[in-house]
Amino acid sequence: MAALITHSPILIIAIPLAAAFLTIPIGMASRKARNALVIGSLTFVVFLVFALARDISINGIHLYTLGATSPDLTIPTGFMVPVRIILEVDGMSIFMGIIWSIVSLAAATYSLSHISSETGQTRFYTLLLLMVTGGFGMMFTGDLFNFFVFIEIASISGAALISFRTRFADTQEGGFKYIVVSAIASLMILFAIGLLYAQYNLLNIGALAQAIQYTTLDKIALALLLIALAMKTGMVPLHLWFPDSYSVAPASITGMLVITSHACMYAAFRICFTLYGGVINAPVVGWIIIIFGLLTMFVGVTMAVFQKDVMRFMSYHAVSQLGYMWVGVGVGLAVLGNTELLSTYGRDAMSGGIFHILNHAMYKPLLFFTGGALFHYTGTRDLTKMGGLAHKMKWTTILYIIGTLSISGIPPLNGFSSKILIYESVYQFHPILTITGIIVSILTLASFTKAFHSAFMGAELPEYKEVKEVPKSMIIGMVILAAGIVFVTLFPSLVVDWAIHPAADALIDQGAYINAVTGAIP
Amino acid sequence: MTFILESGYAFWNPLIWIIVFIIVMVIVYFFRRRGQKGYKKDTDQAQIFLCGEEVPEAEQRHIRVGNIYWGFFETLKEYYDQILRPHTGIINDYILWFVAVTAISVIVLLIAGLAK
Repeated sequence: MAALITHSPILIIAIPLAAAFLTIPIGMASRKARNALVIGSLTFVVFLVFALARDISINGIHLYTLGATSPDLTIPTGFMVPVRIILEVDGMSIFMGIIWSIVSLAAATYSLSHISSETGQTRFYTLLLLMVTGGFGMMFTGDLFNFFVFIEIASISGAALISFRTRFADTQEGGFKYIVVSAIASLMILFAIGLLYAQYNLLNIGALAQAIQYTTLDKIALALLLIALAMKTGMVPLHLWFPDSYSVAPASITGMLVITSHACMYAAFRICFTLYGGVINAPVVGWIIIIFGLLTMFVGVTMAVFQKDVMRFMSYHAVSQLGYMWVGVGVGLAVLGNTELLSTYGRDAMSGGIFHILNHAMYKPLLFFTGGALFHYTGTRDLTKMGGLAHKMKWTTILYIIGTLSISGIPPLNGFSSKILIYESVYQFHPILTITGIIVSILTLASFTKAFHSAFMGAELPEYKEVKEVPKSMIIGMVILAAGIVFVTLFPSLVVDWAIHPAADALIDQGAYINAVTGAIP
Repeated sequence: MTFILESGYAFWNPLIWIIVFIIVMVIVYFFRRRGQKGYKKDTDQAQIFLCGEEVPEAEQRHIRVGNIYWGFFETLKEYYDQILRPHTGIINDYILWFVAVTAISVIVLLIAGLAK
């Protein structure tokens, strides 16, 4: 068991990668064996992630150096700086890893029935597992160039999955837009990494954080990294591609794409707090993030209310909810240099933002899955053509209501727990942030009520007489996420103490991240 | 206590809310039980009554999504005209926005660096 935990960071990345390639020969032999491989490998990854999380909560940051005689030997003999590929998993990384592992498992389970009538299913699961690999890599790597490699893996597999249902023209357009946006973002990230490497001859985040001077080139690199990652998360006004791509993917993939957006947001936080944390002009960058975050919240929700396509409607809500996270963590960044303000409300604002990532990672894929369930039987995403579906799809209706109440921040659901943390803390920074947040919450509830009435309420429509509840595996996929919502709803303090505060502290404590790699106090 | 979330200024306990919710449900159930006992499902009692008018078919009765919040959209027509304009669906436009926002961010960071 000890060896398993020691090697768990690389195993969590390698197992889905190996399973991705194994699905091809196994899928040719047996469909059931392929499905068992996908679900089995992802279940084992969930176990490994929780085992690693437990280890990190006891022993602190977990390092894994590839190719070294010992996994914690970060700097080879005769070298002054780390040169090998290092996976560095701290409270924030493992927090993201937990989310990614659970949503991936739920999405794969949901897919078993959701894509059962499609051709090329083996390729679907290969790409899904490759996306899982890319996501974990982005979250666990301690090296900028490897981050670029993993974001490319996640983006390319994500684009292929968006375009998976080739019989629909809009899926091809959505996949094309996704790959163009991802390629531009990755190119800018690579360019920024080049600017940093040219100056410091380093790629390791911890070692770079120790050496960085905040020169003019560093500032340009920061802007490139931050805006490229912000575009990948769908921050307004760079969100325009987001609904075009996310709304046309299979619902299970849309749920996973939301978490890849979170992974890009995580990377942006890692760059601001860990890489640039010691030198950054925190109030200016913090305010930039807050302003864009407010725009994201408001424009996202007002565009969502306007939508008639159920998946575009949910995509715009995903954009809007991401704004809460930007605002919460942005406030923490804005007061990073002021110890008093940071302890008074900055840490709570960051905790609220990070807590909202967790909550959003459960209710948003759940809502996308319910949207996928509607499409599964009605064959349309158009809300104007739906109605009365609650008569036949009782499970989907109940799960939709859970997701709706949660995203709208209605007590006692988990969305309320994170929103109240954000509201109370950011109010002290500037009241307009809380006011905007509450207005956005009201509009969120109003728009989800509208969609609920349109799709589920009313008399049973004759065209949907034959509609029945979705298959069990799709229900199970949704129930996994709903169970997570119920757990966080009942035990918010447990979650905050065990996962959220360590994640926020990991971002704030730049020294610990650097020290773990370099062995020196910066 | 794992149920109590301290927000720094107040606390949030989902259990209290759930208990209150259950009490309200019990009260509602109590009043419901005191209602008419003569209700019979699937009889004319359960049919829609529109002052004697003919009841439209189900698809005509259902209020579709396009008719909901009409007043809201009408009031905010100018806002929506402006906000819909950048949503062209053309990827070239999307990338132009990226270039513009990156350029503005670089300028802001450089100017802020000079001021510092």
